Amino acid sequence: MAEQIDRELTMSRAMVEAIATEMRENDEVFYMGEDVADYGGIFDSTEGLREEFGYDRVMDVPISETAYLGAAVGAAQEGMRPIAELMFVDFFGVAMDQIYNQMAKNTYMSGANVSVPMVLTAAVGGTYNDAAQHSQTLYGTFAHVPGMKVVVPSTAYEAKGLMHNAIRDDDPVAYMFHKRLMGIGWLPAPDGPKTPVPEEEYTIPFGSADVKREGDDATIVTLGLHVHRALDAAESLADDGIDAEVVDLRSLVPLDTDTIVASIEKTGNLVVVDEDYRSYGVTGEIVASVADEALGALESVERVALPDVPIPYARPLENEVIPDAGDIENAVKRTQ
Amino acid sequence: MTDGTDRAAVTLAEWPDDADADEGVVVNWFAREGAHVDADASLCEVQIEKVSVDVLAPVAGTLTEVVAAEDAEFARGDTLAWISPDAG
Amino acid sequence: MVTPSELKQMYLDMATARHYEERLQEEYLEGKQPAFDISAGPIPGELHLAAGHEAAGAGVCQHLRDDDTVTAPHRPHHVAIAKGVDLKRMTAEIFGRETGLGKGKGGHMHLFDPEVSFACSGIIAEGCPPAVGAGLAAKKRNTDSVAVAYLGEGAIDQGAFLESLNFAAVQDLPVVFVIEDNDWAISMPKDRVTDVENGSDRAGGFDMPGRRVDVDDAVAVYDAAREAVGRARDRNGPTLLEIQVHRRMGHFMGDPETYRPEEDQDAAAGRDSIERLVEDLRAAGVDDAEVDDLRAQAEARVEEAIQWAKDQPEPDPAAAHDDMWINPGSGVTDTEPDFDLAGGDD
Repeated sequence: MAEQIDRELTMSRAMVEAIATEMRENDEVFYMGEDVADYGGIFDSTEGLREEFGYDRVMDVPISETAYLGAAVGAAQEGMRPIAELMFVDFFGVAMDQIYNQMAKNTYMSGANVSVPMVLTAAVGGTYNDAAQHSQTLYGTFAHVPGMKVVVPSTAYEAKGLMHNAIRDDDPVAYMFHKRLMGIGWLPAPDGPKTPVPEEEYTIPFGSADVKREGDDATIVTLGLHVHRALDAAESLADDGIDAEVVDLRSLVPLDTDTIVASIEKTGNLVVVDEDYRSYGVTGEIVASVADEALGALESVERVALPDVPIPYARPLENEVIPDAGDIENAVKRTQ
Repeated sequence: MTDGTDRAAVTLAEWPDDADADEGVVVNWFAREGAHVDADASLCEVQIEKVSVDVLAPVAGTLTEVVAAEDAEFARGDTLAWISPDAG
Repeated sequence: MVTPSELKQMYLDMATARHYEERLQEEYLEGKQPAFDISAGPIPGELHLAAGHEAAGAGVCQHLRDDDTVTAPHRPHHVAIAKGVDLKRMTAEIFGRETGLGKGKGGHMHLFDPEVSFACSGIIAEGCPPAVGAGLAAKKRNTDSVAVAYLGEGAIDQGAFLESLNFAAVQDLPVVFVIEDNDWAISMPKDRVTDVENGSDRAGGFDMPGRRVDVDDAVAVYDAAREAVGRARDRNGPTLLEIQVHRRMGHFMGDPETYRPEEDQDAAAGRDSIERLVEDLRAAGVDDAEVDDLRAQAEARVEEAIQWAKDQPEPDPAAAHDDMWINPGSGVTDTEPDFDLAGGDD
């Protein structure tokens, strides 16, 4: 009988708890980013860490992503365990070489003689009218480049377990946390990401998708914020007698194709929901992966993602392009 | 503080010094009614003029009643919840 | 003051590097003549040789230990040799062999030898931030090791370099930046693309010392680097060094250099830091017979490394799928603990 957990945490607190625990246990772990010290992270990703660990281990850095992400690569190659934060994932453009040419490739190019045990944390996602340069998830962009593991927590429970695994992993891990899920007062989270979180340390393996809701009629595969929108859709569909299964990917690299295929073999209907752009992205990849392994089991396929436009600012425009529960519900209905 | 039935009131012990406002909003609860909580555990997070502050459990016990739910406004000194202290 | 034994070590490093580049040029062009085909021959792909850069490698690395990290750019061989990289395994990597430093996955622009803390990267100036990170690690661990980032003069306008100068300066990191100024960014002369005459002048904007060594002189480089490396080792912060070198060959092998005036090529060939160092050796009392012996040692080492590399097996094609991760894809665990998350949505 598993121990019952009462304490609930927001996603940001669960993430910080894992980081703090690792920092207490290992002097080689440190955090670098813009506004991570006194501010505690613009999205609360380092709240309270500077107070406990000081400025040397919770480092404010110049607004100079190439320098500090590259410094994280260099320190990691020396055997330290840096965590470096992109305040918004959208800022990757000014530092992509360090991410995809250095961090992601050095292990392979060295024939695994060099390891890069760093975590790249990045705030992702829209739904609060921050427009095209501050609202992307870029899941597909990061998952496309070989050489980094890519994880996306959807709840506090996942945020903690995935972070412990990310920091301990000898490989580079991109840890993409959705702003809307963090539980920030000024950016209220939906119901769902705040979950019971064990006080003890635990690790969640990458490449293990989680079935958040079981159902027989359709499989909704999604991640991040849209796990919760899919669960809302599933509740509503249940009123119409449609029983949807919701699969939370939790990591894009590695991708748990087995869990998705097992679900498709049960339901036959695949609906992939993504907050990234539609083309050349997560939705296409999931559909292709299922087709590779279980084409015969597929009866219908729907993709729900951002249309291929930059994310617009005005409320009705942003609401139009970011999938909501209604969009997911309609997509599931089209498969029935 | 008790109300005569040995319940302990949960309040924000220290109002932020630099806050002009006398009202706040409950942002997050970290325990549900019926949960056991340790003394000094963070029970909830409140926001006063954009500053977030944690409200701690005054005693160990069972969170018997949440008075101010998430998104509820409260005033300085208001009871946010009640805890039934552990026996002993 | 440089000692005779240090002069001899620098000469060995430089003679090794020069002979290495000349021999790689021969090997590279095999199978690529008369019609040049970049993917043909025993060494495929691009090859950026550093003949004429030797003093910058030897003069700086003479002050470094195995635990001092060096990052080099796409033209790395002379630095790797001076840093003590395993020459056989480096050569095997350049020949794309299974026993190469990167098992044939990196090639000549991506050489990693963690035994002597050496790495290079093919993207202009992008080796600077990782060197800064190595300096940061040294500071955090409170060791006295230092980091050195090499770059070409064509890299001094790149953001990664400028950002690295700032980061190293504001954190007081033990880093030495070494600009090798060979006057040419492939076909672009530096005055066409940069409005400062000396790259070392960039240091002033970052509140760090900048020093230019105007002549391609190993002893002058040695002296300047001693100060810069010493400053880093004593925890007094970063330094920017610039060293005039000469590109005796094309940007890459197969570069016809049609853009380059003949007199410039002749001038480069006429200034030879290795011959200059021989004069210094003589002045220090090392006789010609010993110099000849050192050169013979260097050449024999190169021949041995090349022969060894050519004798190594090519990688099994299936190995292309290996070495993606150090840990399994799942991380440090493959199972999830069982908790009863009573209150949540799970």
